[in-house]
This record gives sequence, C-alpha cells and structure tokens, in this order.
Amino acid sequence: MNYILSRNDIPKVLEMWSKTHQVFAPQKYSNFSAFLPYEGKAEQLCLEYPHNTRYPPKALFLPQSEELLSYTKDGQASEPALDAKPKLIFGIHACDTRAMTLLDTVFDAKDYQDPFWKARRESTAIITLGCDEPCSTCFCTTVEGGPFNRQGADIIMTDIGESFHLEALTPKGENLCKDLPYASAAEDRKVSNVQEKATSDMPKAFDTEGLKTALDANFDSSYWEEVQRSCLGCGVCTFLCPTCFCFDIADEAARSKRYRNWDTCMFSVYSREASGHNPRPSRKERTRQRLMHKYSYWVDQIGKIGCTGCGRCVRYCPVGLDIRAMLREAGKLPVEVIHA
Amino acid sequence: MTDLEMKLKAEAKRLLDEHLVDVFIGFRKENAPLHPQPAFFTNSDQLDDFVYNNLCQNNLAKFLTRYPHETKIGMIVRGCENRSVNHLIVERQHPRENIIMIGVPCTGIYDWRKITQRCGEEISDVELSPGKITVKTSKNQFEFESKELLHVSCARCSQPNPISADLVIGEPVEPKDPARAKRQVETFGGMTAKARYEWFTHESERCIRCYACREACPMCYCAECFVDHGAPRWTESMVSKAGMQTWHIIRAFHQTGRCVDCGACERACPMDIRMTYITEKLNTDMENEYQFICGMDDKTQPPFAAFTMDDKTRFVA
Repeated sequence: MNYILSRNDIPKVLEMWSKTHQVFAPQKYSNFSAFLPYEGKAEQLCLEYPHNTRYPPKALFLPQSEELLSYTKDGQASEPALDAKPKLIFGIHACDTRAMTLLDTVFDAKDYQDPFWKARRESTAIITLGCDEPCSTCFCTTVEGGPFNRQGADIIMTDIGESFHLEALTPKGENLCKDLPYASAAEDRKVSNVQEKATSDMPKAFDTEGLKTALDANFDSSYWEEVQRSCLGCGVCTFLCPTCFCFDIADEAARSKRYRNWDTCMFSVYSREASGHNPRPSRKERTRQRLMHKYSYWVDQIGKIGCTGCGRCVRYCPVGLDIRAMLREAGKLPVEVIHA
Repeated sequence: MTDLEMKLKAEAKRLLDEHLVDVFIGFRKENAPLHPQPAFFTNSDQLDDFVYNNLCQNNLAKFLTRYPHETKIGMIVRGCENRSVNHLIVERQHPRENIIMIGVPCTGIYDWRKITQRCGEEISDVELSPGKITVKTSKNQFEFESKELLHVSCARCSQPNPISADLVIGEPVEPKDPARAKRQVETFGGMTAKARYEWFTHESERCIRCYACREACPMCYCAECFVDHGAPRWTESMVSKAGMQTWHIIRAFHQTGRCVDCGACERACPMDIRMTYITEKLNTDMENEYQFICGMDDKTQPPFAAFTMDDKTRFVA
C-alpha cells in the first residue's frame, strides 16, 4: 500500500518508530553527514542532501572494526551476543540499499552465513529514500540500478514536495506504515512522474556491454600501468564504497580479543603473504584488482556487477581518479578474437 | 586557458620535445569538478588536457620517490613543493641533477572542503578568475574572493615562491599571513591539557584509517609504514580510540623537521580531519629551538636526523 508522511510529521513519526526500533538516519556529522542513531534532533537530519552520506551505511551491518570473540588465558573463548534488536534505517539512498543485497551474496550465501551480518540484516528494516535529484557523480542506472531501485527496501520513499510518499514493499514495511494516512491517487501519480524523470535524466556513464570481455582480455595490458599513475594507493575509494567488503582478522592480544577490520586491496599489506612475497606488488595490480573485482569477478560469481554507482569513489578520491573514465577507457581496449 | 597555463604547457612541451626530461609531472583536467588530476606526461602529444589552477591540490613532490634515480623528472613546483623536493634531495630520494623544477609563484590552493561547506557537495561547475571563484550548483551560483577559500596551510604560507627552481614562470607573490600559523600554535598550545586532548580526540575519532594523509604526503615514502608492521605491532588494528590516536600522533611525529606545511594530508582526508595543527606545532618548535625550516635548501639535515661528533648532547659522543 501507499502512504503519506508529511514533512512536518517526520520528527513525530521517527519518535514513534524509536519506541520499537533503534532508528538510524542521515544526520550532520562534522562537516558532512553519516547514518547515526536518531536521538530526537530533527534539525540534524540531512534528508535534503542530494548526495550520499560520506561514510557508507554498510558499516551498520559490517562495522569497520568488529569483535569476533574474546578469550582468556586458560583457553576459554566466547563470542559476543548477536545484535538482534530491531533497527530501522530511514532515508538511505537506493544505491546503498541495493549494495546490501549484493553483500548478502557474500555474507549470507548458500555455503556460508556470517552470523553477525545475518542477525543485523534480519533485525533491520530499510526505508529507501529515492533520489529525485541524482548527482553528477552518480551512475546507478549504468550498473543495473536506479535512483528509485527497490531492491532491499522495505519501503520506498519519494519526495513529492510538501510530503514524502511511502510505498510499502514488504510486510515489515506495511507494519511500519500502519499508523500513516493512505496516499491519494493524485499523490501516486506525482510519484511516477518524479521517479521517471529522475531515472530518464541520468545519462549512461559508460557502456557495460562487452566491458567484462574487454577487462578479461586485457588483464596484462599496459593500460593498468597508465591508469594507476596518479593513484596514491590510499583506501578512500574502497573504505567509502558501499559494496567493498574485504576484511582482515586480527588478534589483539592486549585486549584478549579477536577483531575483524575492514581491509582494502589498495594496500600493499592486503595481499602480502607470510613469506614476504606479494602477488600484487604494485599499484598497477592493485588498481586492476579493484576494477576487475567489481566489473568482472562479481559477474563471474553472481552474474551482477559489484558496484551500485553511488559515486563516492569519484567524489572523494584525493587525486580525482574517476572509475567511470577508467572503465570507459577499459571498454575500448582491443579484444582479440580467437578463431576456432 | 590562462596565460600562466599556456607558458607552463609550452615549457613542458619544450622539456619533453628536447628530451631534457623523461617525464613531466603536472596536472590534467578533472573528470569531476574540484579535482584536477596529477598527470605524468612522457610525450608532448599528451599535453592536450594539461591544466594548472588553484584547485590543483596535490603536492606533486609525492611522485618523485616513485621513479628510479636515473629518471630525468621535470615538474611544476609551487613554494611548498619546491621545499618538499629540496628535502627529498636531502634525504637522497632523487638526485638534484635529474630534476628540473619549473617554479610557479603560488597564489594558494582552494580547499575543496571550504567550497562544499559553503555551496553544498553537489557542484556542477567552477569558474576561476584572478582573485575570484564562481561556483555553480544546479540551483545557485556563488561568488567568493579567493582568500576566503584558501586552504589553511596556504592562508598562512610564508614561502609561496619557489626558492630553487630551475625556471620560474610568473611574477613573485607576497607571502600570505604567516602570523596565522603562530596564532594557531599559540591557541592550541594555550589551551589546558584537557582541552587539547578533547580537540585531538574530536579530530582523530573520525579517522577511518584509509591512510590518504600518509599517501598524499611527499615525506611518507617508507617501504613499510609503522602501522603495517605485523611484528612487533605498534598500534591497535581497529578504528579504536587507541588505534586512531596512535596513528595521528606518530604520523605527525615522523614529520618533525620534515614537514613543509603544504597541507596535502588534510586536503586528501575524506573525513575532514584537521592535522596541520600538530605538524605546525612541530614546525614552530623546529624553528624556535633549532632555527630550522624544512626544505629551505637541499643540503641541511633536519636537526633530528643530523649527526655530528661535537653534538651538544653527551650521549652521542
């Protein structure tokens, strides 16, 4: 069903949801925005920003540092309790919501389920705020998504001026909306206009047709040498990325605890082996890995591109490297035709 | 293209065409607004998208250490970059004779964060004219005096002019307001220990340990950084208070006598963490205690790296 949430009612409704859920919403944090627990401060909300929060909301399910177990000297180990208290993420953009569904294929796969990830996912409802003004750095429509993509959302929310239009997509979503007024037919019509306009306004950032073939065929191309020259080798692109999930497990003996920390293929220590050998010895191999993982290996594994086009890596790269330009160029690389 | 850009480009072309350099390090046109890219031209045909303006935020000396010593490198240097290069020569990271520095008297780098804080993050276009900047968003247009947008390190720059470049293009500019550096150090130093710790905690707690500050810094070229050591481990691996604070303190301390206050670390940080308030304190100490300013020539060792048999401290001799 479709419902209406007037702008003025947002604090009241968030208050109401807070009684049963821990509510996370995009709020001012330092000079930018992040998903933080909502503590009744409506003036802190950043629902009007066209761009994404700087820090990716994947951290709500996969915290940057997470305790996996603690142990004692006499050999006792215990795992922390799973986080199963009801949570609600309000106002997350479609690219970030969709990223969770991609990450489910890693942390909630047939052969392996991560209990920490799963507990948080199952106890969290997601209200996606569609983007009526996609940013210049956004390219969700290029990578199988869209500004109003519904994947992973319990409710999809559209800004129709005075109020937000909420379409409940799951029983979880319906349950959250039960105290809200229904949307009128006229309001429903406004929604389709907003959604269609936003989607059709977005140009294709690069061609994905044949991209994987070009990437695979050019694994050893000198292109990678060229494209990495200005790369600093920092972790901005991958840490801010909503779909990058690599982690490292570290024993912190002083705390008697084992932690899982985000890690990134852009660091040389990421792939350095115990012997000292590093199969990705330079930024060339590491840059290639970042792009190949998202645009080739994900496709091999789940048939989907592992990027949702949120644009954070484009926006915050300290040297202005643009994955869209990198892929546009990669797509033009020659693909050798092998005749049978 | 500005007159300065044309002259710089012509010089880059000459150096490449006459095979005086193997590579010319400059900038090229950005893909997304605000971030021109460092560029590595090896042939003058590649100079089409050459760009140089106040948004070129990286310290190009960073890239010097990536090349073998035999590589003949041509590069654009502003005041801070010139000093960085000088200091890298002191640290034997590249021989002076294989570097050709094309100097540019610098009018300061615009801090992209100051722009986004004033105009919102979604910027469609930026127009630069001398002393002025016009920023366009989908709904608004903003005009600023350039001095409003200077990065804090540029606003207090005492050495905007290249000091040992092989060729300088453009007229020398006046130093900005070096008194600001002193004021900041005094403000921070004048606070109670508790207040200083709160300030430091507030800044470091946003750290995501992406090490963009390290990677943007020309002086951070260690083959293995202390945070990456597995054994012994110098700091916690997590984004814990201890882990983040250790990183920020030790990173700064490793810069003692080596920092030119270019501010590249702060501009690279995706979390808007202020860092130069610590390094500026160290720079001030170096100047007051040892009369040393990093990078003023390419010979003098920084006090903490220098060794002499007649050292005043007894343990050395």
